Amino acid sequence: MTLQQPAPAWRDRVGSGGLRRRSRGEPATASPVGRDQANRLGWGLVAPAVLVLLALTIFPAAYLVYASFRSYNLMTPEAATFVGLDNYRNIVADPDLRHSMLVTLLFVVLAVGIEFAFGLCLALILARKSRENTIAATLLILPMAVTPVVSALVWRELLNPNYGWVDYYLRRIGLMHEPVAWLSQPVTAWIAVISLDVWQWTPFVALILMAGLQGIPPEPREAAAVDGATGWRLFWDVIFPLLRPFVAIAVLLRTLDAFKTFGTIDVLTGGGPGVSTEIINLTIYRTALQDFSVGAAAALGISFLVVLSIIVPQMLRILARNSDLVEG
Amino acid sequence: MSKRLAEWTRAAVVRILLWLWVALAMVPLVWMVTTSFKPSGYAQTIPPTWIFAPTLEHYRDVLTGASATPFAPLLLHSLIVALLATVVGLALGLTAAYALARVQFIGKKFLAMWILSTLMFPPVVSVIPVFILAGRLGLIDRYITLIIPYVAFNLPLVIWTLRSSIRQIPQEIEDAALVDGASRFEVIWRIVLPLAAPGIATAGILSMLLSWNEFLFALTLTRSAVKTAPVGISEFTGMFGTQWGSLTAGATTIVAPVVLMALVLRRRLIEGLTLGAVK
Repeated sequence: MTLQQPAPAWRDRVGSGGLRRRSRGEPATASPVGRDQANRLGWGLVAPAVLVLLALTIFPAAYLVYASFRSYNLMTPEAATFVGLDNYRNIVADPDLRHSMLVTLLFVVLAVGIEFAFGLCLALILARKSRENTIAATLLILPMAVTPVVSALVWRELLNPNYGWVDYYLRRIGLMHEPVAWLSQPVTAWIAVISLDVWQWTPFVALILMAGLQGIPPEPREAAAVDGATGWRLFWDVIFPLLRPFVAIAVLLRTLDAFKTFGTIDVLTGGGPGVSTEIINLTIYRTALQDFSVGAAAALGISFLVVLSIIVPQMLRILARNSDLVEG
Repeated sequence: MSKRLAEWTRAAVVRILLWLWVALAMVPLVWMVTTSFKPSGYAQTIPPTWIFAPTLEHYRDVLTGASATPFAPLLLHSLIVALLATVVGLALGLTAAYALARVQFIGKKFLAMWILSTLMFPPVVSVIPVFILAGRLGLIDRYITLIIPYVAFNLPLVIWTLRSSIRQIPQEIEDAALVDGASRFEVIWRIVLPLAAPGIATAGILSMLLSWNEFLFALTLTRSAVKTAPVGISEFTGMFGTQWGSLTAGATTIVAPVVLMALVLRRRLIEGLTLGAVK
């Protein structure tokens, strides 16, 4: 069972307990021979998918571990030498690299935090089913599908200080007096980067939470209302606990995705002005594929991977506590 | 009376805020589409021109390349890559999902979690070795070099979505077929495939969407023979001081198919993006 609330009709007929037991342990696999067969069948069926996944995760990681101990430049591959931990020492010593780690964390926290806050508000408004809400929810889907690179290009031109709509209309309604070169100052560049991500992905959070809210049965709310709970108390004590699995999955998936951001920031600010919006993905990419210092980039990549593998399992654990998505 | 008035005011404010958000969210798309139809002189005016005779000149220029690299081949490359990556991903994903949903084998639980955890793997980390390897093998700028990574990116999503929809198929049907002497592949092909069709459609359309939109691998691994549309459009800015007409026409041709697909799929988009967890 995953998060969806109404169980399919056949489940009532069969009885979910019985069916679940059957789908987990197949009667045919009881004998040792049958079990062997099932192992071969199972691994045979997953093997092609697993091989492709290995090729794009474990193989690159192993290669990068190896490369990270070497001074390896793609332009002069024959001169590569073993340098031990030098590449990692440089990461610790270089303030720019520490900066881009911090920029990454700040970007993820700000973007996901704001998307969650706005998404929750939108979901609360949209949860009541009406034609108006359906239209609004449908329009909200559009930004999610837009090619990220295209949305970054659109942002650039909307924020253009000479011809951009943003500057023109903000001045028109009196919110601004002078044109602002958004992308040439750190603070406004950050506003641009965050607003782009918020525009594109708030609907994702909103629609997940909306599905969650619509699935909450009316009884607990009614019971609490009878007991006199209203407004915020009703929300925090009754509705939010029921919504928690949906919150967990929305935040987890958004966080994973935000850590992978590359194209939008590359096109919108290029990491600038200076290095003020340079997230780690841009740093790794440039070190490896523009400076061709594969060794240094590999050490950075491995460090990033280590940080992620500390953060993500914690989040998965929180998710597992709140939903049964991750259970067998 | 005053209580009712307060409630009414609150509801009205909420509606206004909702539609304000929706309206603001539409601005970038409105800018993109309207600018793409504006005649050359009107694209970059201040104040913005709202009344104009729509023209297709920018689409013609962009697609045939009167002003730069022709865009039509790039769209074709994107389409080929997205279609092939989706078909291969679905084929590999369906068998894997079937095994994870129906077969008891050692290491299954670990495997399911491991597949899910590959979602966290940053693409920028895998692109470096892939670039070096592809360079050594002479596979830069080939379809296959782009398709295999895209299959890998989409597999966790495909497998988890399909696993959850296969679990909703009553097992009795499959058991009956097995008893009647059908092989496992026949069961997957003849029974699971048609019954899991909605899940397959969700996973397939999402794979298409994600592959069509991908930028990092396409930027690194293609030059011209298979250069995709997102890479092509990202080169528009520097090259000619950003002509809005060409830029927005190109952008619209990339975005229109995926946005339409998302609208058709809207009910299932969230289900797919949450790996089948939210229906």
